[in-house]
Amino acid sequence: MTEGIHGFSSPRADVFPAGLRVLVVDDDPTWLKILEKMLKKCSYEVTTCGLAIEALDLLRERKDGFDIVISDVNMPDMDGFKLLEHVGLEMDLPVLMMSVDGETSRVMRGVQHGACDYLLKPIRMKELRNIWQHVYRKKIHEVKDSESHEGLEEILMMRNVSEQQSDDGYLFCGGDMTPGSRKRKDSEHNKYEEKDFADHSSVKKARVVWTVDLHQKFVKAVNLIGFEKVGPKKILDLMNVPWLTRENVASHLQKYRLYLTRLQKDDLKTSASGTKHPDINPRDTTEKRTEPIKIQQNEAVSSHRTTNHTIHEVDVKGNNAALQTIKPKKMITGYAAKTSIHPFESTQYSQFNSVLPTQYSWGGGFKEIQFKQENNNNNAPQFQVHNSCFTGVGLPAQQNTSIPSFQLPDPVIGPTWSMKQDPCTEQTSINNMELSPFLLQGQHCSSTNVDHQNKGVTVTKFNDQEFINDALKFDYDYEYPDLWEYPVIGQGLFIV
Amino acid sequence: MSSVLQLQRQFIDYTTSLHNEGYLDNQFTELQKLQDESNPDFVTEVVSMYFEDSDKLLNNLTTALQQRNVDYKQVDAHAHQFKGSSSSIGAKRVTNVCAHFKGFCEAKNLDGCLRCLQQVKQEYIFFRNKLEALFRLEQQILQAGGSVPMVE
Repeated sequence: MTEGIHGFSSPRADVFPAGLRVLVVDDDPTWLKILEKMLKKCSYEVTTCGLAIEALDLLRERKDGFDIVISDVNMPDMDGFKLLEHVGLEMDLPVLMMSVDGETSRVMRGVQHGACDYLLKPIRMKELRNIWQHVYRKKIHEVKDSESHEGLEEILMMRNVSEQQSDDGYLFCGGDMTPGSRKRKDSEHNKYEEKDFADHSSVKKARVVWTVDLHQKFVKAVNLIGFEKVGPKKILDLMNVPWLTRENVASHLQKYRLYLTRLQKDDLKTSASGTKHPDINPRDTTEKRTEPIKIQQNEAVSSHRTTNHTIHEVDVKGNNAALQTIKPKKMITGYAAKTSIHPFESTQYSQFNSVLPTQYSWGGGFKEIQFKQENNNNNAPQFQVHNSCFTGVGLPAQQNTSIPSFQLPDPVIGPTWSMKQDPCTEQTSINNMELSPFLLQGQHCSSTNVDHQNKGVTVTKFNDQEFINDALKFDYDYEYPDLWEYPVIGQGLFIV
Repeated sequence: MSSVLQLQRQFIDYTTSLHNEGYLDNQFTELQKLQDESNPDFVTEVVSMYFEDSDKLLNNLTTALQQRNVDYKQVDAHAHQFKGSSSSIGAKRVTNVCAHFKGFCEAKNLDGCLRCLQQVKQEYIFFRNKLEALFRLEQQILQAGGSVPMVE
C-alpha cells in the first residue's frame, strides 16, 4: 500500500486536481498496480488496498485523509456495495465503483447504493483523469446547501477569482478550476488551496482541529448571531480566533447544520420517552443509531438545569447516520420534508459533536428560549420556536454523557421555544415541529412549552454516541472518548 | 545499427500481429504508455504479476470443477476474477473465454464449464508464450542499444 502523506499530502494548490487523494480498493493485485500507476500519472496521491475491511479501517483512521474512493465491486471480504454504503455514510466521500462486469443491473445497484460513477474494466487512464469532478461536485453541492446566500456568494467569488487568491480566503486552486469554496472538510480545503487567506494567512496547510473549546466558541458565535443569519464571516468575526479562516468556519458550519438536521430527525425518532416520532424519516433509522442518548441533560445540566431538563443529547449516531444519508441538499429532508417548518437550513449538523455549550435550561415553562449562547441575550434569536411544540427538539447533544457541558452560561436555551408543557411531548410534540429547524436553530420550535422538568428530556434518542463519535471523527481528529467531554448541545433545545 | 532496426521492426510487426489476432487489445498499449523512466519495467512487472495470479486462479478453477458437487458460484467467482485480471493487461482472448465460462456457470452446465476450462487454459498458454516472446524481443533491442518502439 502506498500511503500518501497523511495530512499534508496536498496537491499544489494551484494545480487542482493534482494531489487528489485517492484510495483504491481492489482484490486483484494486477489491477491495483495498474490503477495505482495510472492515478499517479494523473498526479494524484494514491493509496491502495486489497481488502474492503482494510480500506474502511484506513478511512476511519485517516479521516479527511482522502478525497475519493475507487473500489471494485467484487471483493472477497465484503460486498463492494456495502463498502460503498459505509463510506458514504461514515465518511461522506465520493465513491466510484469498478467492475469487469458492466451489466445494467449491476450498474444500477451501484448507483442505488450511492456510487458517483461506475467504471468498467479495463479502465483507461483518461477515465481516471476526470474523477476529480466528483469531488468538486460534492463540494459545490455542499456549499450550496449550507449557506444559502453566503455560500453562493462565495462560489461566485471563487469562480471569479480563479487563480488569484481571493482575499476572502477562498483560495482556489489555480486556474483550472475553482473548487467549491467549502470543502467538505477543512483539511481537504487546505489541501487544495494554499491557505493564503487574506485574513489568516496560514500558509501551511494545517488542518483545523475543532477542539471542544473552539467548537464552543463557534456555537456561541452562532447563537449570538442567530442561526438564521449566521454566516461564516460573522461567526469568524465573533469567534475572534486569529488563525481560523473563514473557510474553516464555513465548512464547520456546514457540518454543524447537517448535524443539527440529523439530530432533528433523530430526535423525532427517538424521543427520550421512547416515543417514536412517526414522522421520522425512515432513513434516519439507520443502523447507526445506537442507543438513544437520553438527554443527558439532567446529568449534564448542572448549572442550569434545575429541573430535569433534558438536554437532548441527540443521539448523534442516529443523526449521523441520518445525516450521512442526507445529501446536502436535503439536509433537512426527512425532517424538513415533513414539516414545513422552516427548513432548518442549516441544521446540518453533521457530526458535530455538538459541543455546543448551550445548555438549555429548560426551566419549566421557559418559553422563549433563546438559543443563545450564553446569555439570554436575545440577540440571537436563533431558535425561535415558533410553533410550539418544539418538543423534543433534539439538541444534538452529544452523547449522553457529556452533556454537562451543555451548559449555557446562562440558562438560556438557545432556541426560543415556547415550549408547551407537554409531558408527553417529548417526542410527539416534535411532530409538529419540524424538528429540523430546531435542531440547531431552534427556529421552529414548537411552541409547546415543554416542561422539561418533567420531561426528562426525551431527547431524541439520537444515537448520540455514535453520532458524536462519528461526528467527531468526521472532521476533527477526535476519538470517541473525547466526545464525552463535549457538551453536546444541539443548539436549540430540542425539547422533546 | 541495422540489427537494432531489424529487431525493432520485428517488434513492431509482432506486436501488430498480436493485436490483429486478438491476443492483445488496447489495454496493453495503455500499460506500455504507463511505463516511463521512473518505472522502466512496469509492463513486465505487471505481466509477471498477472501470470502468477493466473496460475493460481487456473488451479482454483480446476479444483473447483473437480469437486463431486460443483459449487458453481465458486467457479463463477474464480472465472470472474480471471476475467478481471486478464482484462487488466489486455489479454483479450482469455478475457473472452472467461465471459463464456461465466455463462456456463450460471447455467450450471458442467460440460460447458469443463470445455471452457480447457479453452481458457489453452488461450492463456498461448498468450503467455506470445508475451514472453515479445519481451524477449524487447530485451534484445535494449541489449543492442536500441529503444523499444511504441506501437499504437
